[in-house]
Amino acid sequence: MNKPVQAGGSLPSLALAQQQLIKMPYAAFLGVSLRVGPDGLETSTRSRADLIGNTNLPALHGGVIGSLLDITGMLTLVFLKALDQSPRLIDMDIDYLRSGQAQPTHGRAEIVRGGRRMANLRAVLWQDDPERPIAIGRLQFLLPKTEATRGGLEVSR
Amino acid sequence: MVLDEADTGPGVAVLLPGAARLSGDDQDEVFHTGVILATLDNTAGWCIRDHPDYVEGTSMATLDLRVDFVTPASLRETLRVRAVCEGFDGDIAFVRATAETLNTKVLIATGQATFMLGTPSGPNLATPANPVGGSLE
Repeated sequence: MNKPVQAGGSLPSLALAQQQLIKMPYAAFLGVSLRVGPDGLETSTRSRADLIGNTNLPALHGGVIGSLLDITGMLTLVFLKALDQSPRLIDMDIDYLRSGQAQPTHGRAEIVRGGRRMANLRAVLWQDDPERPIAIGRLQFLLPKTEATRGGLEVSR
Repeated sequence: MVLDEADTGPGVAVLLPGAARLSGDDQDEVFHTGVILATLDNTAGWCIRDHPDYVEGTSMATLDLRVDFVTPASLRETLRVRAVCEGFDGDIAFVRATAETLNTKVLIATGQATFMLGTPSGPNLATPANPVGGSLE
């Protein structure tokens, strides 16, 4: 999904994505781990009792699902664009498609459009079957300032 | 997160004090956007249960949620998240929510969510359905 070929010249960096993950204590609290598979970067989170929102079903908390989409999008952006600073999430839109079970949850994202200042990503979460996503998200990130964007090449309103 | 008992409305307000494990960046020490999102989602669920037409025990599920992250929030702050149910017909509920800093009243995030009510509440239908929100605290 997030193919390791992107415009912009930088090579994907798992090391930078790992570094970004370590910088986010909340992601560590959720227990997010990273790996690079044939389809690019993938996040994984083990099931844990305190991430359950509805204990009768049981179902993963909607806020945890949203957070995993957020973290998956952010780390994929850092990975693909090899960012050494944090992008900032500006807004996101989540569609909850199925209730998340007390099972491991996996996530992937792709850059829909990566500009110099903004990036638009689509993220997806699934559990046992990638064809049966539990949630999808649209995310807009403000990219960290670089020499090019800081140097006044773009007119700010 | 705790219910703001002293709050007089509208809707429901909860308080979320900053804590190290809620950090989105260990250098900037700000709330992770996911934490803000989770609190908005949870508070939105609580405000539906507070609605006069809500039947006690009805389960619910978030259908969608949109959040605008207006300003990063320092972990030294306590956030107050307020959710107001703007539409409720027994099947679907529409909620708007905001997060602001408790003391300085800076707008941190706004959210909009849609919930479906009366979703299956699990194998044991005899027990009253649990509230939609567990707690991250």
